[in-house]
Amino acid sequence: MFEILEQAWAFNLDRETVFGLVEQSFVFVVGMTAILASLGVILCASPIYSALYLIGHMCCLALLFLFYNAEFLAAVQVVVYAGAVMILFLFIIALLGAKKEERDSSFEKLMGMGFVALLFCELLMALGVGFTRPMEGQATEDAIATVGSAKAIGMELFSHHLIPFELASFLLLVAAVGIISLAKFSYRPIRKRTRV
Amino acid sequence: MDTDFVLFVSAAIFSIGAVGFLIRKNPLVMFMSVELMLNSVNLLLVGYSKALASLDGQIFALIIMTVAAAEVVVGLAIILTIFRTRHDLNVDHINVLKG
Repeated sequence: MFEILEQAWAFNLDRETVFGLVEQSFVFVVGMTAILASLGVILCASPIYSALYLIGHMCCLALLFLFYNAEFLAAVQVVVYAGAVMILFLFIIALLGAKKEERDSSFEKLMGMGFVALLFCELLMALGVGFTRPMEGQATEDAIATVGSAKAIGMELFSHHLIPFELASFLLLVAAVGIISLAKFSYRPIRKRTRV
Repeated sequence: MDTDFVLFVSAAIFSIGAVGFLIRKNPLVMFMSVELMLNSVNLLLVGYSKALASLDGQIFALIIMTVAAAEVVVGLAIILTIFRTRHDLNVDHINVLKG
């Protein structure tokens, strides 16, 4: 990234340099927007705002997927996550009532944040390691561009990863049966209960 | 291909999701934080699948999306059932399994 910035600073630009600069700055802006939206998810007191921030976050991630040559996954991200899952979330929020959470600062929260800050530093240590294997894949940018992202994923999915795919469909079936039994059979008439 | 940036963004989103899971008391927002963590892993898989020129990362991300959808559906059904019997959504108050 920095050599492109140096070239831009020296004003010796050709078309590829300008294109790369624009693309990388766009990726940077979208990534930072995703981080800000995820901050909005955990900092909003009302769950409905959290859900809206989460929709924005998922749209940002779909944009990033487009930049990483994963058009099919970007479409799936928008349809499944920003569509189905978030509609489900909003429906449940509307059903349960969106009560604001009272803010309090406790020692446990500080301890949790410190723990996760440590975790973040550990994750960033991976930056210093880099690749442990050489880059040797078959699916280069041109190879994907000749068949298209969805077809490339389909061929890979139905040749090398057939069993995980079938297991995933089985998992969805189990989840569907599970929620029907949860929602239908475990319902008891609401009764007053004493405070525990 | 610049993998440092995608690694940084993914680590930041994962940490934010972990913080949200630890500090929030509404189970719906805790679920959204789990979604953030799953999404950050998806982003990392897709970014590295481009950098390594291999489609395995995208397949992994697709299967993670399937698992996340199933998990969200079952979790929201459980939250709904708890709310039906207890009329309370604070996770600090949910301390017995027996209805």
